[in-house]
Amino acid sequence: MKKPASKFAGFTRKYAALPYGVFMAVFVVFPLIVLLLYSFCETADGSLSFQFTFDNFKKVFSEDNFSMLINSLLVGLYTTVICLLIGYPVAYLLANKNYNRSSVVVMLFMLPMWVNFLLRTLATKAMLEFFGISMGMGTVVFGMVYNFLPFMILPIYTTIQKIDYSLIEGAADLGASARVTFWKVTVPLSLPGVFSGITMVFTPTITTFAISKMLSNSKISLIGDYIDQQVKHLNYNVASAISFVIIIIVGISMIILNKYDKESTNQGGGLW
Amino acid sequence: MVKKIMAKTFLGTVLAAMYLPILWLIVFSFTNTTSISSWRGFSFDAYIELFTGSNSDDILKAIINTLIIAVCASAISTVLGTAAAIGINSVKSKKIKFAYKQTNQIPMVNSEIVTAISLMLLFGMFRSFIVLEGEVQLINVILAHTTFCTPYVLLNVLPRLQQSDNKMYEAAMDLGCTPTQALWKVVIPDILPGIIMGFIMSVTLSIDDFVITQFTLDGGIYTLSTLIYSKASGKKPLPIEMRALSTIIFIVIAALLLYANHKSTSEQKKKKTNTGAKKSPKRSKI
Repeated sequence: MKKPASKFAGFTRKYAALPYGVFMAVFVVFPLIVLLLYSFCETADGSLSFQFTFDNFKKVFSEDNFSMLINSLLVGLYTTVICLLIGYPVAYLLANKNYNRSSVVVMLFMLPMWVNFLLRTLATKAMLEFFGISMGMGTVVFGMVYNFLPFMILPIYTTIQKIDYSLIEGAADLGASARVTFWKVTVPLSLPGVFSGITMVFTPTITTFAISKMLSNSKISLIGDYIDQQVKHLNYNVASAISFVIIIIVGISMIILNKYDKESTNQGGGLW
Repeated sequence: MVKKIMAKTFLGTVLAAMYLPILWLIVFSFTNTTSISSWRGFSFDAYIELFTGSNSDDILKAIINTLIIAVCASAISTVLGTAAAIGINSVKSKKIKFAYKQTNQIPMVNSEIVTAISLMLLFGMFRSFIVLEGEVQLINVILAHTTFCTPYVLLNVLPRLQQSDNKMYEAAMDLGCTPTQALWKVVIPDILPGIIMGFIMSVTLSIDDFVITQFTLDGGIYTLSTLIYSKASGKKPLPIEMRALSTIIFIVIAALLLYANHKSTSEQKKKKTNTGAKKSPKRSKI
């Protein structure tokens, strides 16, 4: 039986989330709607005229931007693959009790994530210059890997850590060799982490501006630099259009990720 | 054994490679060459320049702006996020929970630059009603930072709430507390570690942010990161005092995070011994 007092309390507590809801609606959802409007409209002198058009998207995918788009794709691909090749073993070893028991070491791997990426990029640039390496695609990829590696390690580490150890023991008991256990048990179960790592590396790589500019002496510009440029020239519509494309890409990968997530957390119940 | 050594070597190598450039920057903050690629003897010139040089006023202003933004945005986020967590935890409807979850995800998964552009457009619309000039523009940045800090506060507080026993809250009211009293005397102390963690995370996120600040702030007002960008993106080499500044920022952030990490692990230990669980193996060995 419920007492009226607690009923009332439940009522007030429920509404504690309302300010947050309003705030998120105004500053997160509404701006995205504005962005969507901008990307499908023409602007005359900064004021919106609601003339539906695909021109902004045509401009984004025009021939002038061909090298920018290809470069973004290549840099994103190289960076993601290299991060995965380095990050997976690191995450695996960190999560394995035989090799690492210290949370400080894990912390050290995550720490660079919290240091401003401009500082890290400046430091990288200085070091590359010291060794006389000429700036180009290679140095951009190097800087990106250096910047985004923790974002690959963290999700993989968390998923591997969550794997039920009895499954691995079970596989061994049933006669699987360490290698087979790794490929047939650990890897499949860590796939959600891998996938989220890939999204967390790929999208920032292609959209973060300034890194590619600094590490290639402005020779290579990626999607992020392009957006920055469009904003500087007050081409808000084109900037919005390309942002919209990014949203779609991120959205698709989120949907795939959620699907994975549902399969793996069905037993757990999850946070929400 | 061999495997263990190989594993440690691998981890060590990756760590060393990750930290090499940062260490490089720190080492070179103690010399006075204009370019970072040659060593010209030990000196504190960069630090002296940082505090007394011609740019020191601008740097100080940028630091103050950064701190104002970080503290205000984190405070607002903490209040909003904590209230939201309490609210969401007591909501029964799955649909409403789902809606909150999805909205909370948006700022976290969205590309920073997309958030930045969308907020820039929003503030552009606001500008037709009210024009913010000079330092007042910081309000925009504070609001912008609040949007991406609040989700992290929520995600830090919510698990704490779910672990805490709702019966305590009910018992407090059975014993004569008003709901408000019960909230302040039972619920809040229980979830305080999560709230503090959320606040610390917000502060570091806000100080660290560059992209969103860059797009929502203009007209000669700088935060640390945008100031560094404006100095670094030019053709001239980076002023030496920036090296000193970077070193200080790095050390402050590292100290903050190691402290937070230490706090959370020691708390976990306490919890483990309290519940009588098997003591975890020695953790301090690196």
